[in-house]
Amino acid sequence: MRKSTLLNLLAVLILVMLAACQPAAAPTEAPPEAGPVTLNALYMNQAGYSDTILLDMADQFHKANPDVEVNFTFVKYDELHDKIVTSAAASTATYDVILLDLIWTAEFGHKGYVIPLDDKITQDIRDDIAPAIFDAFIYKGKTWAFPFLANFQCFFYNIDQLKQAGFDAPPATLEEWYDQMVALKEQGIVTYPYIDSWNQKEGLTCDYVRTAAEFGGDLFDADGNPVMDQGAGLKALQFMRKLVDEGLADPASMTTDEPGAMNAFVSGAVTFNTNWTFVRGNMLDPEVSTIVESARTGLIPPAEGVSAPAGSISGFQGLAIMANSKNQDAAWEWIKFATSPEVQGQHLESEFPVWTSVQNSEEEKRINPDAGFYATNLANVRHRPKVHNYPQVSTIIMEDVHRCLLGEMSPEEATADMVTRIKALD
Amino acid sequence: MAESVVRRGKAGLLRVGRRRGEQRFALALMTPALLVTLLVTLVPLLYALYLSFHKAEIVVVGGRGGLLTEFAGLKNYLYFLRDSRFWYSVRLTSYFTITSLLIEMVAGIGMALVLNEEFFGRGIVRALFILPWAVPTVVNARMWGLIFEPHAYGALNGLLQTLHILGPTETLNFLAPIPIFQNVPLLGEITSWLGATQGINWLIIGDTWKVLPVVALLTLAGLQTIPRELYEAAEVDGANAWQRFWLITLLRLRPVLVVILVYRTMELFRVFDIIYILMAYTIPVLAIETFRQAFVFGLFGKGSAIAFLIGLLILLVAFIYIRLIYVEE
Repeated sequence: MRKSTLLNLLAVLILVMLAACQPAAAPTEAPPEAGPVTLNALYMNQAGYSDTILLDMADQFHKANPDVEVNFTFVKYDELHDKIVTSAAASTATYDVILLDLIWTAEFGHKGYVIPLDDKITQDIRDDIAPAIFDAFIYKGKTWAFPFLANFQCFFYNIDQLKQAGFDAPPATLEEWYDQMVALKEQGIVTYPYIDSWNQKEGLTCDYVRTAAEFGGDLFDADGNPVMDQGAGLKALQFMRKLVDEGLADPASMTTDEPGAMNAFVSGAVTFNTNWTFVRGNMLDPEVSTIVESARTGLIPPAEGVSAPAGSISGFQGLAIMANSKNQDAAWEWIKFATSPEVQGQHLESEFPVWTSVQNSEEEKRINPDAGFYATNLANVRHRPKVHNYPQVSTIIMEDVHRCLLGEMSPEEATADMVTRIKALD
Repeated sequence: MAESVVRRGKAGLLRVGRRRGEQRFALALMTPALLVTLLVTLVPLLYALYLSFHKAEIVVVGGRGGLLTEFAGLKNYLYFLRDSRFWYSVRLTSYFTITSLLIEMVAGIGMALVLNEEFFGRGIVRALFILPWAVPTVVNARMWGLIFEPHAYGALNGLLQTLHILGPTETLNFLAPIPIFQNVPLLGEITSWLGATQGINWLIIGDTWKVLPVVALLTLAGLQTIPRELYEAAEVDGANAWQRFWLITLLRLRPVLVVILVYRTMELFRVFDIIYILMAYTIPVLAIETFRQAFVFGLFGKGSAIAFLIGLLILLVAFIYIRLIYVEE
């Protein structure tokens, strides 16, 4: 090959590289859409509304808005974050609308991946959605996503096993819960009374935040400083460790995620499981559950002296518009439609609605007899910290909690280490 | 004489000219493929190298997305080299790699020796034993997840209960992240330091099941190149089976073994699927750390740096293999 050809090739390569290395471009507005629009929406096919329901919603939307078609990409929850970040890196977004887990609110808002929706949300909309839900999507005074899924944790128990142990009702407090677990174990009704999702994953951070909520507190103070080495944070980890040490929590918890914990519960192997709302549908489904008649939903018991009637953790998900989308107006129209009380009201058997008026409707009470427990757990949720480097913060929490539960560190050492490491982050 | 020299010189020049023409034609044919390879391999590689010396994060400004970079020198590399968690990941990955390699090599050579012998149905067995290799890695991970499930409905627990090895309410948590020999003084400390847990050992079994056929197949290909006469001559000279294996088979397999070792070390050092799917972040091998830095934390500079550190480690191991094992024919 001639020297000049090689040089030309090299020059092309260098140009390609330079183009790729170019930092974020100078601000230019994405041009508005015109004519027929195909909206690309990223959604998960794991929990929440099923793909069938979503496709049905999209059909209804297309009939009402013939110029706009919604094209879904369904992925696993674990792939959502990567897909969104990759989409943000492109000069024009791959996805116009994304499903935003509340833990990404600060990160996406801070890095400008999604646009604030405040000028689109009217006061009457805000009045009909509980502040506990809306707050999850607010960062630095702006709303970055519209609530779509009201996911949160509930208390699930096996009433037959409880009755065998001599209890007529689920525990009202954390202390009663502990006594019931001891009785169930001592009487040999189950080998391990309780299972939770304590493998090293986001679920572990959630369960730790929820246990702190049961003790009436948070892991971070109002200014976002880590305070888990004292008060509710420390008590929560001491309680979790105690359950492991005394053989009340199934050791399999340490290698189990949420669906795995649910499987153990619906098989009748354990009496208690604290988990997300998806468990209810499964535990009442004879295809997958052996405890259909004895499975019950309840309030997550708070510790004695805590004034709240329950302590839960939020796992809300919202719909957000990518800042590099060229179809932002059409995207908002779709979000308005998909999150509307009318559309959510069509699928009450599938998901608990985000709208207070729909939660309190006669139809919801008829379809979900546990709606009262749901509402109380929901009203008492705590959020995970809203910090822009949340993934790193959560990693530190899950690493230290896991080491503590494996007996490698005491709760005091683990919580102190969390505080030190979180404070040392950039 | 002089005329013939000139003629030879002309013919030589013609030959050289024709060869050059052929080379040019071959290069022209290869150029599209070469360009694609450069674009999808070399450019990303150089770009990742560039990123590894920068603080890089994805931002969207004014409706356009892009990567914001800031020169960081060696900071990203030094961050890992000074981080005890990185070195724990190195030890953990090394344990996974070495243990898997030992099992794969011993079992793979054993399988290949058997398959190299004449027996009834050898063709069918050779075709069937490659099947695990055809199972996608994610399916393999999920399958072993069902086998190792820690409750009575787990396949292995169910089997052990049916065989009365376990009691009716007894179950084993195979994937428990408990260090092996943890109660044995010194040994327990070493396994803890290495990250050698009961869980990782069972995962090694699951991973090895899938890749063993390919190791055996490559070894079998090597075995078939060894002339029968060598064994016959050795037998005449009085060499026993062990000596024949050690001095002929293994010695002759060296070039193939180097290829297998380098290939498998690269694969094992990058292990991700089975560990991430079944254990999430509980076993932080190097590939999981890379994924976490780049895609979970969004720190693409650090993610690139750790990827290059893994590459360097693999290069080092490959170099050692070649120096120790490879001999010129």
